[in-house]
Amino acid sequence: MAREGKTAQRASAAQEALTRQPVPRRDGDGPLPPTDDPMSYTYTTDLAAIRAVVHRYALAAGLTEARAIDLTLAVSEVAANTVKHAKSPGSLKVWYDAKEIVCQIHDEGIITDPLAGRRQPSLDASGGHGLWIVNQVCDQVEILSDATGTTIRLHMTLPPA
Amino acid sequence: MWYNKCVDLLTVSVTARESAGEPYTLVEIAGEADVTNTDELRRLLDEEVSQQPHTLIIDLSGLRFMDSSALHALLRVNRSLDRQGGVLALVSPQAAVAKILRLTTADRLIPVFNSVAAAAAG
Repeated sequence: MAREGKTAQRASAAQEALTRQPVPRRDGDGPLPPTDDPMSYTYTTDLAAIRAVVHRYALAAGLTEARAIDLTLAVSEVAANTVKHAKSPGSLKVWYDAKEIVCQIHDEGIITDPLAGRRQPSLDASGGHGLWIVNQVCDQVEILSDATGTTIRLHMTLPPA
Repeated sequence: MWYNKCVDLLTVSVTARESAGEPYTLVEIAGEADVTNTDELRRLLDEEVSQQPHTLIIDLSGLRFMDSSALHALLRVNRSLDRQGGVLALVSPQAAVAKILRLTTADRLIPVFNSVAAAAAG
């Protein structure tokens, strides 16, 4: 099926993006978080740490404060789903180039609704706002979910340097 | 629940106050409110709602972050107060908190003020 082919192509492009080292836009953008692999984090319930990392990267990549807040909110909402549903750690990868910053969150949870996050829930609803917010604040959202888990990739376009 | 160990990220304080002879309850929420401490936040807020205050003011000025789980806790307070004839008001959300309130249009449902005094004056 054409649709499957497209998904597969997208997945291999993601693999390529992940193995490539990120290219900072300028020198002296500040220190990256102290870890062996500065582009990859495993998290369980430490969402505040995740938010701090994403916010720092977002500013280093060149997003405005307001957009950095948006990306931080989006990543936090996705990671919150890991805490709520996955019952196993999730992983976060962040990379950026001159055009965009990308945050990829992977966990073992499974999303079955193909329209997840595309419809605005009522304020009376007891849940469901998370992915909707993610779709509102990000420039592009990719959700790849199968039996092994879910990978969500959030893209934010950077302003011209 | 197993993820409820990060409550230290969040501090909540409650005081009974008065404005022009009218009593109100002031709840100050500070830190970061997310899914890892929502249960605790909900429990604390439910406790205040059960006191049947006429006016409940939540000061958000010390809150750096709020996710949709915490927002649901606030919406739940609003519904409960509404049912029992009370009023909820929010005060001084920081940028990230103001953003989620605006995105979800919760700020059209719950009045947001610039100061506790303004909220108390209604």
